Amino acid sequence: MSLISILLLSALGSVAAWRVGRHVSSGLKHVAALLPIALFACFIFHIEPVASGGVVTDTAAWVPSLGIDLAFRLDGFSLLFALLITGIGSLVTIYATSYFSEADARERARFVFLIHLFMTAMLGTVLSDNLIVMFVFWEATSLTSFMLIGFETAKTEARRAALQSLLITCGGGLALLGAILLIGMELGSFSLAAITARAPELVASPLLPAVIVLLLIGTFTKSAQFPFHFWLPKAMAAPTPASAYLHSATMVKLGVYLLARFDGIFAGVPAYGVILVTFGLLTMSIAAFNAIRATGYKAILAQSTVASLGILVMLIGLDGPVSSVAVIGFILSHALYKAALFFCAGTAIHATHITELRKLGGLAKHLPFTAAAAVLASLSMAGLPPFVGFIAKEYLFEAQLQSSWSAIAVIVAVLVNGVMVAVAGAVSLRPFFRGRGKIEHVHHGETPGLLIGPMLLAILGVVFGIAPHLIVDNLIAPAAGALRGSPVQVSFSLWHGLTPMLGLSAAVVILGIALMWKWNEFHRAIGQMRLVQKIDADRAYYRVVDRVLGTARATTRWLQNGDQRRYTLTVASSLLIVAGYALVTGGPLNLTWSGGEILPFPAIILILAIVGCVVAIRSTSLVTGLVGIGIVGYGSALLFLANGAPDLALTQFAVETLVLVVLMAVLVRLPTDAPKTRSPRESRIDAGIATIFGFLVFGGLATMTAQPFDTRLSDFYGATSYLEARGHNVVNVIIVDYRAFDTVGEVAVVAFATLAVWALLKRRRAGKGS
Amino acid sequence: MRSVIFSAMARAFFWIMLAVSVLILLRGHDQPGGGFVGGLVAAMAIGVVALADGVAAARRRLVAQPVVLLGLGGLLTIVSGIPGFVAGGGFLAHQWLIFDNGFKLGTTMVFDLGVYLVVLGGMLSLVFRLYEDAP
Repeated sequence: MSLISILLLSALGSVAAWRVGRHVSSGLKHVAALLPIALFACFIFHIEPVASGGVVTDTAAWVPSLGIDLAFRLDGFSLLFALLITGIGSLVTIYATSYFSEADARERARFVFLIHLFMTAMLGTVLSDNLIVMFVFWEATSLTSFMLIGFETAKTEARRAALQSLLITCGGGLALLGAILLIGMELGSFSLAAITARAPELVASPLLPAVIVLLLIGTFTKSAQFPFHFWLPKAMAAPTPASAYLHSATMVKLGVYLLARFDGIFAGVPAYGVILVTFGLLTMSIAAFNAIRATGYKAILAQSTVASLGILVMLIGLDGPVSSVAVIGFILSHALYKAALFFCAGTAIHATHITELRKLGGLAKHLPFTAAAAVLASLSMAGLPPFVGFIAKEYLFEAQLQSSWSAIAVIVAVLVNGVMVAVAGAVSLRPFFRGRGKIEHVHHGETPGLLIGPMLLAILGVVFGIAPHLIVDNLIAPAAGALRGSPVQVSFSLWHGLTPMLGLSAAVVILGIALMWKWNEFHRAIGQMRLVQKIDADRAYYRVVDRVLGTARATTRWLQNGDQRRYTLTVASSLLIVAGYALVTGGPLNLTWSGGEILPFPAIILILAIVGCVVAIRSTSLVTGLVGIGIVGYGSALLFLANGAPDLALTQFAVETLVLVVLMAVLVRLPTDAPKTRSPRESRIDAGIATIFGFLVFGGLATMTAQPFDTRLSDFYGATSYLEARGHNVVNVIIVDYRAFDTVGEVAVVAFATLAVWALLKRRRAGKGS
Repeated sequence: MRSVIFSAMARAFFWIMLAVSVLILLRGHDQPGGGFVGGLVAAMAIGVVALADGVAAARRRLVAQPVVLLGLGGLLTIVSGIPGFVAGGGFLAHQWLIFDNGFKLGTTMVFDLGVYLVVLGGMLSLVFRLYEDAP
């Protein structure tokens, strides 16, 4: 299957699975999992050609005039992501279906639908070659993850976390768009492959610093790097299957994905690597620290995810040939064990309705297989042999030792990995094995659907560790090669001999066991540190948000005080200032008196309009005032008609009539006499502004009409209207054909504005009725 | 406040105005008119019924919810652009069928119908709400 048809299948399939899933009986509820499994199979068939060095591409035109095509490209690196996305997506679908087995079928189908949409967006992001297309999918992942985090809409905490993640990731998305547009301006192309090929041009560009900063903001927000590291743990308010998907395999790794893609492009910019390593080290240290401090089961896992993301960012920043292999190995092993651990956490929380890790204990009796999977996954996380996590960690240290970085990076990495070992122990041993008898009764047991995901992933962690040749040539080497831009020799195996890396691994394990031993003491000590309580990125975030909202409220109160006259006054005087400035700087007024005779018909209409104005001003009755305004409106329509603009006149007549009809409905509810709310002084100011405004419009119009009229545009339309658009009415042809896209936009504006008013009116009615 | 005379007049005017609105819509491409004005006139036609016989009667005349018409109209303006996209001329490049006797049919008609429905649905959704609310 071509890449575009795979994406189409994914998008249409999610909708189909949703509609079907709402109605299937419980025996067939797992049918939705067929979609990600089918997609996974599609990508399995792509392993062979990609591993032999091929690149699959697929292109369709989208906006050719702007250089934006639906261009997709599958190389080793995107294939690894595609397999993870669809593979873990399948397991998440199965798990979620069982997790929500007691929920309403519609609710369950909605959740799975969101998961599938999210999967589609992820796939699109990693398959896109065109950066604009990638950006669209990138934002789609932010939106769908917003809906997933806030899935339980009744929970305040979930809504807050969802909004926070949306603000941060979409704010970062804007920065990313800026970077993409700058690249497009500089190179004239949005194709990632073309940009990689022309990297030296980009590096030499004066825009380079801006591009890098914007790109880093975009990717750091997505991948929860310092200083945006706080949203990810909050996002644990999502149902656990979503957490497993969002925070293990996929979304948060998108930032890493893009950073890695650009690593090759910015190879000639030393600062890029330095920034990545610095922020990676900062993030992993903070997250490791917070992991010890955290109390919730999922919160600890989330903090360790942030630490892992920091490790990945650091690895990308390192120079040296091993770093790309280390990145790939770590992405794979982390996806396997972290998703498995989230599944196990979900099963434990689901079974006990307890989220605090401290209150859990002895669950192995009730959930034996989940406990086994948790142990296997956490051993891989701890980086012990013979698990794949061990190999990944060996590569991590090798990449560090090979790079030009000082010992500080290595020391931080050892410390953080030590914490990871302790976390691995804490999340598997504590809830399942220690504290026997703490939990007497569980609400739900294990079901096959809840087990298949964690078991499979945990076992794969061992299998890939013992038999790495299964994945080395098929996955790891092509992916690393795609990152480096040249084929890479990978010796991915358990035993590398007595190397410095082995020594560091041993140090990590010893440190981790010591930490695990004294976990409670550390936990308490860090929790009581004053400094830690003071520095809280989450609080800083809310302070910023509150400030923004406060400013918005203050300006709204100031500008929108509810007095229509004041609005009109503001608009009129601003226009006066702007137009007056233009008149003054535009040279002397050019008022010419043509000296022709006064035409009787327009003169009569104008006199009538003046009468209408006087009536509108002098009348105290709102209805009479409305009629006065109406006379002015109909008068101008007649003038349009007399001057050869029948379309304009027709529209003006219709609008005037309808405005009368609508306003009458409002007016019948108001007192007939307008209450006097203006003081004499205010009235004088109003009159003054209105008079000056009238003179200004008159002067402006007179000046404009005194200029010779440029007829080129109307001549063009008149000449081509019938030939090209088959219409004699030029006005209509412009609206529906020449400028049809504008009209679509205007139609949308009308529709949305009306909907908003409609909704407001409804609310008022409901309040009155009760 | 029901008036038999107004009611009877409204019924007649309803059909006349509706016919006029369709006429304005159809002839719009070559003579003064088009979807926007047509939609306004059609909204007036129903609005007169709402004034004379009440909103319930007007809703019966309209059959569909005004908001549905609004959405349908928006959809039609977009759908009308797809044939051009498929034909390779680009989104909203309108396509025409020309018959031997000079009669022509184009996707502009679908587009204008969309504008017509948006204006009609939008105006009526407000008119109905306001009139239902009236004491």
